[in-house]
Amino acid sequence: MYEIFEHTADMGIRVRAAALDELFADAARGLFSVMVSNLDAVRTVEETAFSIAADDVEQLLHDWLAELLYAFHAQRLVFDEFDVSVDGTALTAAARGEPLDPGRHEIEVEVKAVTWHGLKVERNEHGWLAEVIVDV
Amino acid sequence: MSKQGYAGPLERIDDCCWRIPQNYKPGMRVEGRIFADDRLMEHIRADQAPEQVANVAFLPGVQTASLAMPDIHWGYGFCIGGVAATDPLEGGVISPGGVGYDINCGVRLMRTNLDRADVLPRIGQLMDALYRGIPAGVGKGGPFLFDRRELLQLLAEGSKHLAARGWATETDLQHTEAGGCIDGARPDFVSDKALKRGDDQCGTLGSGNHFLEIQVVEEIFDQTAARTMGLEENRICVMIHSGSRGLGYQVCDDSLAALRKAPAKYGIELPDRQLACAPVHSDEGQEYLGAMRAAANYAWANRQLLMWQTREIMADCFGRAWESLDMELIYDVAHNIAKIEEHEVDGRRRSLCVHRKGATRAFPAEHPDLPESYRRIGQPVIIPGDMGRESWVLVGLPGSMKKTFGSCCHGAGRVMSRTAAIKHAQGRRIDRELAEQGVVAKCRHWKGLAEEQPAAYKDVGVVVDVVARAGLAGKVARLRPLGVVKG
Repeated sequence: MYEIFEHTADMGIRVRAAALDELFADAARGLFSVMVSNLDAVRTVEETAFSIAADDVEQLLHDWLAELLYAFHAQRLVFDEFDVSVDGTALTAAARGEPLDPGRHEIEVEVKAVTWHGLKVERNEHGWLAEVIVDV
Repeated sequence: MSKQGYAGPLERIDDCCWRIPQNYKPGMRVEGRIFADDRLMEHIRADQAPEQVANVAFLPGVQTASLAMPDIHWGYGFCIGGVAATDPLEGGVISPGGVGYDINCGVRLMRTNLDRADVLPRIGQLMDALYRGIPAGVGKGGPFLFDRRELLQLLAEGSKHLAARGWATETDLQHTEAGGCIDGARPDFVSDKALKRGDDQCGTLGSGNHFLEIQVVEEIFDQTAARTMGLEENRICVMIHSGSRGLGYQVCDDSLAALRKAPAKYGIELPDRQLACAPVHSDEGQEYLGAMRAAANYAWANRQLLMWQTREIMADCFGRAWESLDMELIYDVAHNIAKIEEHEVDGRRRSLCVHRKGATRAFPAEHPDLPESYRRIGQPVIIPGDMGRESWVLVGLPGSMKKTFGSCCHGAGRVMSRTAAIKHAQGRRIDRELAEQGVVAKCRHWKGLAEEQPAAYKDVGVVVDVVARAGLAGKVARLRPLGVVKG
């Protein structure tokens, strides 16, 4: 489950989940929901595989979202479904969606980058919490 | 992540400058200095920007003071509106946070010989033509496609390469900061990812706070400087605010990843990891510098192509060649960049790495880096205001060299978050409100207009007043928008 929160010039994504796999999947959905206001209209026709290794779990979250953002900008792909498997400070994932269609997808906000500011991935009594700020 | 105010010390130096003393936090190598008056200081105290000014004072090699302009607001590592100069010979560092994600975001102003009466009757038609013709919007590619070989040339040569292609005149180059091409660009340090994001975005406006405006000169404050720039009351101008697009954001992202471990490697202690940096004279420092320069050249080429397209569209609209409309570039300035410049510190001339993040160069008259045409008056400084309100043209003054390493403000600075601005708008049709004020706004989504509404920004007039009182830059002209295109 994710929510968008405000941050003077930019936007934040706050994610809560019972498990790390779900946390990363919901964070990805949160990122795409910032860019595509009608994410539910995205058809699930293509799948892209990701494999990322990092030094710690915060960097892993940053790099996961950064890779997805790159796929959106450079390959013009919009994803709305994610299967993520986190193993320590590495992950493998499948992201499903379709090529960007400006006619059907409402793109309102350009996310320029996933920042490192206030980046957190932490355990609490309910499960996991993550926060990330994106530069818009 | 709630918005906390700054609770640290602020000592008044004079009526437009405040000091954060060096003893505020152990680790500060110099003091902080914020240029602001009492009104602006109230806004400034309300966020963590002054804390960031103090943090920048930790950077190795930082000279004289960590500086902040009157339009300062919170940013990543460095605040926006921050200026800091480091001496590479003292282990001085370069920091991507001191430049920003949008490398060489900047602004240019083009004049015309049209006046208000020529344009107002056809403003709707003109804005429609610009809205259709200027590529804008999220991830929107444009008509100029460069293959890999030519893209690398563009990164190496900026606007100069466009001159070779017939999309820039000699005057365009002379009236662009750094001639539209900064020396020492290293396209080979730009990642494949960044090149891929940039291959179809040169000549596109982007979105967010980027815009193209048709403006009218409302008031002249300095007749001599205005005449030299070709500005007169009631004349129509075109202002273009854009940067290095996806290529620049990716270069910044790549560099932050590359520099993550650099502070530890070089024994640099930082109060904020977003001040990630490396000595200018290190492999990592040189890689960022080279890649950043390449992205800066891309941004100048971007604004040049946007201007070229505008010339063609307006020539078509008014049925005359753009040259006969006198659509000449007054000047183009960067406001997110790091440059190696000569400045005097403690009576000695030094070569410093000057970071300007949301700050503009403002060199005074007689500075050798200025083109011949502006040698006598000083460098034009273009200050985009917020949408629907005024913009300014200033001219650099000697005070900037004495106080701020030749720098001044860049614009107004946000006070309201985007979501708050949307709430504040409460579904009001911002485009209709702007129309009532005489501004025709063209944007793909009303949300985009609401986020950028005037209430979301500080008053640029107040910011410019402080900059003028501090002797950094003098007022030349105030402009008002008649039409705006946003992505």
